[in-house]
Amino acid sequence: MINEAINALEDGIASLQTLLYVDAVQPLLYRLGLMGYDEDTYDALYWVIVGVLQIVVMYVVLRPLEAWFPAESWQDRKATRVDVLYTWIAKLGVFNVTFFFLLQPGFDRLQSLMAIHSVPDIQFDGLWPGVTDGPLVSFLIYLVALDFAGYWYHRWQHRFGVWWELHAVHHSQRQMSLWTDDRNHVLDTMIQAAFFAALSLFIGVEPGQYVVLVAVGNLLQSVQHVNARVRFGRVLERVLVSPSFHRRHHAIGYGHEGTRYGCNFGVLLPWWDMLFKTASWNSAQEPTGIRDQLPPPQGRSRDYGDGWWHQQAAAIARISRRLFPAR
Amino acid sequence: MTTRRSFLCSPRRSLCALLLYGFAGIAGSAFAADRVIVLDSAEAQLTLIDQATHKVVDTLPTGKEPHHLMITPDHESLIVANSVSNSLMFIDPRTGQLQRRMEGVDDPYQLGFSPDHRWFVTAALRLNRVDIYRYDGHNMTVAKRIPIGKTPSHLDFSSDGKTVFVTLQDSGELAAIDLATQTIAWRMPVGNAPAGLWMTPGDQYLLVGMTGEDDVAVVDWRKRQVVKRIPTGRGAHNFRSLDDGRHVAASNRVSNTISIIDYIDLTKTRDITGLLPGPDDMELTADRKFLWVTFRFARHVGVIDMNTYTLVDTIRVGRSPHGIYFSNRAPVLGPNPD
Repeated sequence: MINEAINALEDGIASLQTLLYVDAVQPLLYRLGLMGYDEDTYDALYWVIVGVLQIVVMYVVLRPLEAWFPAESWQDRKATRVDVLYTWIAKLGVFNVTFFFLLQPGFDRLQSLMAIHSVPDIQFDGLWPGVTDGPLVSFLIYLVALDFAGYWYHRWQHRFGVWWELHAVHHSQRQMSLWTDDRNHVLDTMIQAAFFAALSLFIGVEPGQYVVLVAVGNLLQSVQHVNARVRFGRVLERVLVSPSFHRRHHAIGYGHEGTRYGCNFGVLLPWWDMLFKTASWNSAQEPTGIRDQLPPPQGRSRDYGDGWWHQQAAAIARISRRLFPAR
Repeated sequence: MTTRRSFLCSPRRSLCALLLYGFAGIAGSAFAADRVIVLDSAEAQLTLIDQATHKVVDTLPTGKEPHHLMITPDHESLIVANSVSNSLMFIDPRTGQLQRRMEGVDDPYQLGFSPDHRWFVTAALRLNRVDIYRYDGHNMTVAKRIPIGKTPSHLDFSSDGKTVFVTLQDSGELAAIDLATQTIAWRMPVGNAPAGLWMTPGDQYLLVGMTGEDDVAVVDWRKRQVVKRIPTGRGAHNFRSLDDGRHVAASNRVSNTISIIDYIDLTKTRDITGLLPGPDDMELTADRKFLWVTFRFARHVGVIDMNTYTLVDTIRVGRSPHGIYFSNRAPVLGPNPD
């Protein structure tokens, strides 16, 4: 039954991929003299379709949960609208995939030089041939490896002032919803995409698998930000980052305090928080956002921007003030 | 008939398969000759198809992006080249079972043995390189790694084993490498996105599938001249000799047709139409009755009746099926890797 459903879904995606490719994309490549990209473009199209489907699934599954079992009750959802735009840009993997393919020639050249000069390269999945290079095992190895890097990347986003100002775009959402995950400064998104693409190439992740890793990561992170009372239970929440675990990270004064304090930095797996003693399992509901957004006396009603452009520009202005403080 | 593959539960451990393998052990190659091996390049696996029933009987893991395969000169092993994993897998050509692995072969996209079996050559498409290995009948040792133009994709050899030819897809060139000295002898422009290569008998001409055009270029390689272009279909890609002393098939990946070329008159005699998208690599049955073909953009393999030139069956396989092989195939005319 499940097999049949998955097969049907796979068939549907494959049919759509073939239809779009044969009738629209391939004739264009041929006309433009770009047939060298024939196979790569066909393969990439699959993941674009998966990205669109992901947004549809997110909306269909998570939006009703937000309506029926909200973690926070809101007057309206106006503040979440801008996050939908962020999501469309990010979920299609535009940045990640672009960086992966932009960096690929450089890494290929490096790999070639390493072989010519007999320098061994690193391929995590080749550690135990026959076991670690199986599709599922290698996928899990890379997922854990990248998640470990993700944990430290996230800690640094909170640790360094300039970086924090970029990451503050994400934390400035006070109505955290299924759309919030991708609300990030474009520079932060690009740094992150370049960092993870470079790391993935270095440890031997293949292009197709990389897009799946990005897709799975994106989907799980959307679940983490949902404004719904979804409980994972004591065991599962120690395996995967749950919405309440991540909501704690967004809680003003409890989950983070700008660059001074923070907990629950885990991206997909809470293991690193447990290992490095930064985990908090307290699931009490607290307001989310950044302290200086609050009205006085707790904060100073700081405006982080409403629209996409405003939020992007405000972050650059904050960085400027941090780098060149008025005397 | 379309055969479906289970996504979660591979049929490899099914009772039926176990019984068949048990029987294979007793009956030997009489049974095992029936397996068709297809490389699902975007899924890091190969699909095994029963040649008689056209049913998928198993899927087995490979390395990342297996594109092409090649039988060893002793016919004891089929080499699967895992281009992104930088490895070769030696498998039983009759059952698909793993015999051994060889690591540290950089980006083996396309591969081939020289006709004198002294050299093993790989085209590293991603790394813009052709690597020459010495072959001792069992192992390959690097003789030289040769940086060359952009995206070397397909190979063919001169019958005397002295020269390997390679198409440079993004450079739009054909190159010749002298195997004795492992140096590039020459490069010549041929057109947009050259891919498959096939040497006509007597080493007279090299046929080049022009994937960015709608023709097969006929190259007089001794004079380094394109002497003719045979219009076939858009996206001309790869070749398979038809073992009839006169014809070779050429797949057209944009037109979705296969053209039959008379290699003596250097003309197209017919097109096989009504195919699925992206016909790529082909293999011919020993009785020359059926041409099997991978449909790169449709996740299927097709079977074409060569009496009626019609597609008589399609079989569902994995993503981006590319290389295809079965052991009871018609002889490959010319040293043409596929």
